[in-house]
Amino acid sequence: MAESLKDKVAIIGVGCTKFGELHDRSLSELMTEAALAAYADAGIEPERVEAAWLGTFSPGFGGGKASVTLADALRLYGKPITRVENYCATGTDAFRNACLAVAAGVYEVVLVVGAEKLRDRPVRGLQREGTHPYLEAGSTPPGLFALAANRYFHRFGGDRRTLAKVAVKNHRNGALNPKAHFRMEVTEEQVLAAPIIAYPFGLYDCCPTTDGAAAVVICRGDRARQFREDPVYVKGIGLAVETGWPFFDPTFEYIGFPATVAAAAEAYRMAGIRNPAREISVAEVHDCFTWTEIANYEDLGFCKKGEGRYFIEEGRSALTGDLPVNPSGGLKSFGHPIGASGVRMLTEIVLQLRGQAGARQVKNAEVGLVHNLGGPGSVACVVILGR
Amino acid sequence: MIGITGHAVYVPRYRIEREKIAAAHGARAVLEGERTAIGFDEDTVTLALEAVQALGLSTCGGLYFASTTAPYVERMNAALLAAACDLPEEVEAADFAHSLRAGTVALLAALDRVTVGGGGPIVVVAADAREAPPESPEEQWFGDGAAAVAIGRENVIAEVKARASVTDDFLDFVRRDKDERITSFASRFTVEGYCRIVGRAIERVLNASGLRSSEIARVILPPVDPKMTVRVATELGFRAEQVQEPFLERVGMVGCATPLFLLSAALEQARPGDRILLVGYGSGADAVVLEATPLIEGYEVHDPIADQLRRGLRFPSYERFRKAREYFRHHDEGPVVSNVFYEKEEVRAIRLLGTECGECGLRQFPPTRICQRCRSTTGLREVSLGRRGEVFTYTVDWLAASPMPPTVLAVVDVEGGGRLYLQMTDIDPSEVRIGMRVRLTLRRLGAGGGLYHYYWKCRPEGGGDG
Repeated sequence: MAESLKDKVAIIGVGCTKFGELHDRSLSELMTEAALAAYADAGIEPERVEAAWLGTFSPGFGGGKASVTLADALRLYGKPITRVENYCATGTDAFRNACLAVAAGVYEVVLVVGAEKLRDRPVRGLQREGTHPYLEAGSTPPGLFALAANRYFHRFGGDRRTLAKVAVKNHRNGALNPKAHFRMEVTEEQVLAAPIIAYPFGLYDCCPTTDGAAAVVICRGDRARQFREDPVYVKGIGLAVETGWPFFDPTFEYIGFPATVAAAAEAYRMAGIRNPAREISVAEVHDCFTWTEIANYEDLGFCKKGEGRYFIEEGRSALTGDLPVNPSGGLKSFGHPIGASGVRMLTEIVLQLRGQAGARQVKNAEVGLVHNLGGPGSVACVVILGR
Repeated sequence: MIGITGHAVYVPRYRIEREKIAAAHGARAVLEGERTAIGFDEDTVTLALEAVQALGLSTCGGLYFASTTAPYVERMNAALLAAACDLPEEVEAADFAHSLRAGTVALLAALDRVTVGGGGPIVVVAADAREAPPESPEEQWFGDGAAAVAIGRENVIAEVKARASVTDDFLDFVRRDKDERITSFASRFTVEGYCRIVGRAIERVLNASGLRSSEIARVILPPVDPKMTVRVATELGFRAEQVQEPFLERVGMVGCATPLFLLSAALEQARPGDRILLVGYGSGADAVVLEATPLIEGYEVHDPIADQLRRGLRFPSYERFRKAREYFRHHDEGPVVSNVFYEKEEVRAIRLLGTECGECGLRQFPPTRICQRCRSTTGLREVSLGRRGEVFTYTVDWLAASPMPPTVLAVVDVEGGGRLYLQMTDIDPSEVRIGMRVRLTLRRLGAGGGLYHYYWKCRPEGGGDG
């Protein structure tokens, strides 16, 4: 069995911009703001950074897809920078690669930036680049997840009312979060009355088109206390890649995502977690669409397959529940700038574990989980953080 | 014995009431009822393929495609059809065009080909979706549709007894290379010309067969005018009850597909010994006498016209009807692909080739070198996937770019194995269900880079679909 990453890497600084439709700001500005905030939080000078990883899905103009996008923004020259893209798991995978380098002892202090400027793109929503011109024609991100939601309902019951409860919860949490894209509560009736985007998803079942950036500074676990008193340690990371074309796989059940199950199993193994529902105190999971959050409860082992609807209906994932999920407001309310999201979710869990999450602070936050899910459920990354 | 061994029609699902067209122009309907019309993802190749598939043949020796409105002016449309039918390379393919007589000209060519011998049956398919100027009577009384017949020597259900043709450069409907729409010269003069030219062809074929007009059970006359089919028949010496009903009030005049369409309708009703006189008209006329054989009683029509007529979807407005016809004339920004990509990917997708695992038997798509389930790398073989299936899951998507949202997307488990991800077409989105039976249908997905792009969609299986 492979070695565990447990406690070999620590997060010593976090930074995050306000998320939203940031019409007057550039990708470069956003990356810079997040990185400078993370340096300040870590109490380091920029020169201390030995290497950097950039997670961005669609960097647009300027440096384009190369690492120079980050180098030029931060004037971080002469050092190794790698850009990572792995669908919506881009942010957490950039973090994972940085952690592997630190754990290998190659670097001591490393910067991870996740950033996206979706509103600079000519078309609203997420344009999936490089998709097949015929075999996937007509596919949209909500449509791809809606395929699963409809099958799930067929199999286990539930309906749009079940989904609406997730939107209501995450909007309520987002309203408490000054950096969230949406700071407004919604009612179940509003959610149900909204226009349909891809049945069964209505407008409030979908995450918005958001700009934003987040950054974390990580260092060797055994050196973390040289930087601060309350470092947050990486307890485990799992990444799993399944088919990018589940719709061609005759064995795919469309009731959840095997990638999440596999990534969680690896992360739990490293962290030594046996009963996630009991041992995890707070989670930021990939709620690109309301139903995805319900599937995540099940795939992450918070409840049994088919019982995710009760997990939300009984309020267990609410801020006051026994396993609060998406206290930040989630992708639903905080926003989902693809490459930024995973890193932003890490910053939220760090704040929660440090007890710095303000009005949305979860009680007794000891162990936190971050989960990203990319493509049509194809790529999942799970990170366990603890004190 | 040489003759018809199979026949089928395809009536596109969309219809528009003539009153709706007339009202859009502040005019009156030239005819009662409704016309058939293509959806935005249809053209004469897709209509033709439906008709060919409805024949239910496993293979054929030749594929002749007739249309005055073929999507490609250079590139053999019949070759594209042959790929979609996954026919072998030795199939003899040909396009027939430029005249409303193209359908019967192709039929006569097929008779000649079978007479020469060799190869399997020749499939003749005709399809048209003609463009007439808005506000013209033709916009109302034309329809869109396709019909296919198989010509062969074995299992003949209607034997060809005699044939005759006349050529005459008579002007009625024309369209130049630079015109998108027909120019009509229709008047009493064109009806008179029709009677004169068709009369000569009929006289010749009756002489050749030694029959009198009274010995004909059904005469098939492509309509020259929305209302005068019976009057024309009388002029030509036939009684009203001998005339094949032209379906103008339910379908419309389907261009060069009309003779074969009406022939299929006549054969649906024919009894052994019935003689059918088929006429094709345009720059002259073709006339063919057929006689139904005893085998006609056992011939199963896979999707009878009456069933197809019942399965209509009505365009909500005249504007939608026009948008469907014109969308790809103005939108050419679809995928641009190389001919290298086409050869490697698209043509295989059009042929609908997948892989079957020799170890575990799983059928998968697109083709693979390693089995998705058992990971075997040996014994994998190329297979042609089934063309019917069942909806495993679906969504109705309003976000996807489409000329006519929403886009219905379905994950379909294909008969015989394999799973496909397909857009669903020809459906009221509120009727999609998990478990629904569907049929694969080749459709135009987009236009770009000098090509129309075709790929499979699915449509609800009709009650009578074979």
